[in-house]
Amino acid sequence: MRISIQHLTKIFPSRNKGGAAVHAVEDMCIEIPSGKLVGLLGPSGCGKSTTLFMLSGLESPTSGKIIFDDQDVTTLAAEKRGIGLVFQNYALYPHMTVQENIRFPLDNMRIKKEEGNARALDAARLVQIEDLMARKPSELSGGQQQRVAIARALVKMPNVLLLDEPLSNLDARLRLQTREEIKRIQRETGITTVFVTHDQEEAMSICDIMVVMKLGVVQQIGAPQEIYDDPNNLFVANFLGTPPINIFKGKIEGGKVYVGGEVVSATEYEDQEVYVGIRPEGYIYDPDGVLTLKVDHIEVMGRDKSVVATHESSTKPTVRCIIDSDVVLPPDAAELKFNIKPYKLFLFNAETEERLR
Amino acid sequence: MKENKKDVGSASGTPPKQHNKFVQYFINLGARIRGWFVDKWTAIKDFFVGIKTYKQRKLEAELVTNDGPQLTKGEKFRRGLKSQSGWLFVAPALILMLVFTFWPILAAFINAFKQNYNSLSDTYQGIGFENFVRVIKGDTGTGGASFNQCLVNTLLFTLISVPLSTLLALLISVALNSIKAVQKAYQTILFLPYLTNSLAMGAVFATFFTIIGTEKNIETVGLVNNVLGWFGLAPVEWIKASSPVWTLGSIKIPWAKYIVVIVYEVWSGLPFKILILFSALQSINKQYYDAAKVDGASRWTTLWRITAPMIMPQISYLLVTGIMGGMKQYTAIVGIFGEQMGTNYDMGTVVGYIYRYVDNGQYGYAFAGSILLFLIIMVITWINNKITKKHTTYR
Ligand SMILES: Nc1ncnc2c1ncn2[C@@H]1O[C@H](COP(=O)(O)OP(=O)(O)O)[C@@H](O)[C@H]1O
Ligand SMILES: [Mg+2]
Repeated sequence: MRISIQHLTKIFPSRNKGGAAVHAVEDMCIEIPSGKLVGLLGPSGCGKSTTLFMLSGLESPTSGKIIFDDQDVTTLAAEKRGIGLVFQNYALYPHMTVQENIRFPLDNMRIKKEEGNARALDAARLVQIEDLMARKPSELSGGQQQRVAIARALVKMPNVLLLDEPLSNLDARLRLQTREEIKRIQRETGITTVFVTHDQEEAMSICDIMVVMKLGVVQQIGAPQEIYDDPNNLFVANFLGTPPINIFKGKIEGGKVYVGGEVVSATEYEDQEVYVGIRPEGYIYDPDGVLTLKVDHIEVMGRDKSVVATHESSTKPTVRCIIDSDVVLPPDAAELKFNIKPYKLFLFNAETEERLR
Repeated sequence: MKENKKDVGSASGTPPKQHNKFVQYFINLGARIRGWFVDKWTAIKDFFVGIKTYKQRKLEAELVTNDGPQLTKGEKFRRGLKSQSGWLFVAPALILMLVFTFWPILAAFINAFKQNYNSLSDTYQGIGFENFVRVIKGDTGTGGASFNQCLVNTLLFTLISVPLSTLLALLISVALNSIKAVQKAYQTILFLPYLTNSLAMGAVFATFFTIIGTEKNIETVGLVNNVLGWFGLAPVEWIKASSPVWTLGSIKIPWAKYIVVIVYEVWSGLPFKILILFSALQSINKQYYDAAKVDGASRWTTLWRITAPMIMPQISYLLVTGIMGGMKQYTAIVGIFGEQMGTNYDMGTVVGYIYRYVDNGQYGYAFAGSILLFLIIMVITWINNKITKKHTTYR
């Protein structure tokens, strides 16, 4: 199912009189092609869940439209939208067994018991919990509960699957495994899926399309690699990538980009104060390089090594450069010089923090 | 402790200042009084600190065993007392309970088996089941109440009104939970009957249902009959002897009177039940309702398959306590139907039956009746527990 979100806005009135209203989502426009896995990415409190709840019909938008294929569903009740929703805390009914939980949506569609059981079993197989059908949610691990929640969302064969931070309650290893699982299930079923997360790595690794949000406002939409390689603004550049991008205070003067006293790059933009963002993998060691960093220490990771350094213009305490492990660095050097890959360097206006384009 | 005393004494005496005898006397007296209080205070503090932690008690116990021989008898006793001092706290309640609860129960048990017990001379003719047989057979002399009638009444009142009022309370609580505006006002109104005396409420209820006047010259048919009249129904005699009756063998079912009692019981039982269920509802995570909505559950399905199971512990608590209370019903029926509990105890309850024979001085029947009531409540509670336990999931 194609989803079109048009100028979607949600304003929560303030709880106490005189307080400011919360603009949870503002003027959001997204086109989601059928069968894609879309990631809503942003820090906590930026309106991801609110967006998801508006898509599901549990929250009604203050303004704007939601269109599924060609049908305007903005005011349609949740149960009529044909969506499956996985809550952040799963919201499994504690008094029902796994089977009853999964079958519950089917019971409400007045599907016969045998067919309901068969379909519940199919859904359970898809998420590999068919052995746990007789258990109560309290007898399951976090990962198993999460699978039950997905099975319950999938069992009615929804047109759209919505997942609210489905991995945030899992431990690190399970998270990695489950995110592959979600990708697999999404591929197998071909259901248009919207997936909420605050973890950029998670979003980058499984999404077809990524939507980066900040304070209710969409910052950038695109394929993960596209956004990574071409961020719209400082926030997006900063939010994506582990280790995160290095940011320096700098300026443009006469077609040259200065960081500290050094010219790191040439540019055609006019003179202004800028932030210079350099991805950690954008450094090339060169004794005659353009940027000098004070070395703090070097971490060897096998595949590559990172130089952890400092620079007086850096906005963060340390600067991290990832270089190939076969590059030979002079031992015990207090300072190292680097050249910079031009496509790993981004310039942002110091005031608006928008990318210079 | 001794050190403390010395401290106090020396503290007042340290400045070597000489006063005249009169002043000195009061200074000494003051110091002694202070010393006395400090002493007692330390003793009290010692005592509480001593019983405060299990660890400390154990340590002390070890002390007793380790250097047992060195301790004086008094000290041993004191320490022993300290380690057992938990009993001191429960003792008053325990004694009161023994005197006013356990002894009467025991006495009732014993006396129920004394045949032809005479309370004045404290004599009886043998021990046996005669009282029970007579109570159950209804062979308790002329003008008496029928135990079976009272038991059927009590069971029917309870088994109809308790589930009904619990169900109503559930529906009202759910409705109350879903309205946000003036929720507090509704809560207050619904809670008012709980604060009202049941005799007074019974009397007011009686006026709603009573027909006043003679058969030929009716002054008013009462509120309820008036309302029935709007629907073209003939007035019913709700309260008095001429009230309609179904007869099933030796048991009479005065159904009109039954309706009055059940309406009363349901209504008076509501506030407490609403209070309990409403607060139970508020503790349910809203997310379950969101999930149910997405899963396409209707309001009705949500109520029965999500809400009710989640507050099952509270519901079963209300059922158990409601049934236990209902089985002991008495006051309200006296309030509505008078001391005779209707016509010749046709609206009697088991407790009413017991009072009847206490009043009469025929204690044997009263004791036997109360033992039977005790057994019946026990059986019902047991069944109830069996059923609700099956439907209760503890989160
Ligand atoms: N029901 C509500 N009433 C008022 N404010 C809300 C409500 N739900 C969410 N908010 C506010 O809206 C903003 C976005 O919330 P949310 O969508 O839950 O963020 P996220 O899921 O991205 O962490 C937050 O500032 C939050 O406090
Ligand atoms: Mg959220």
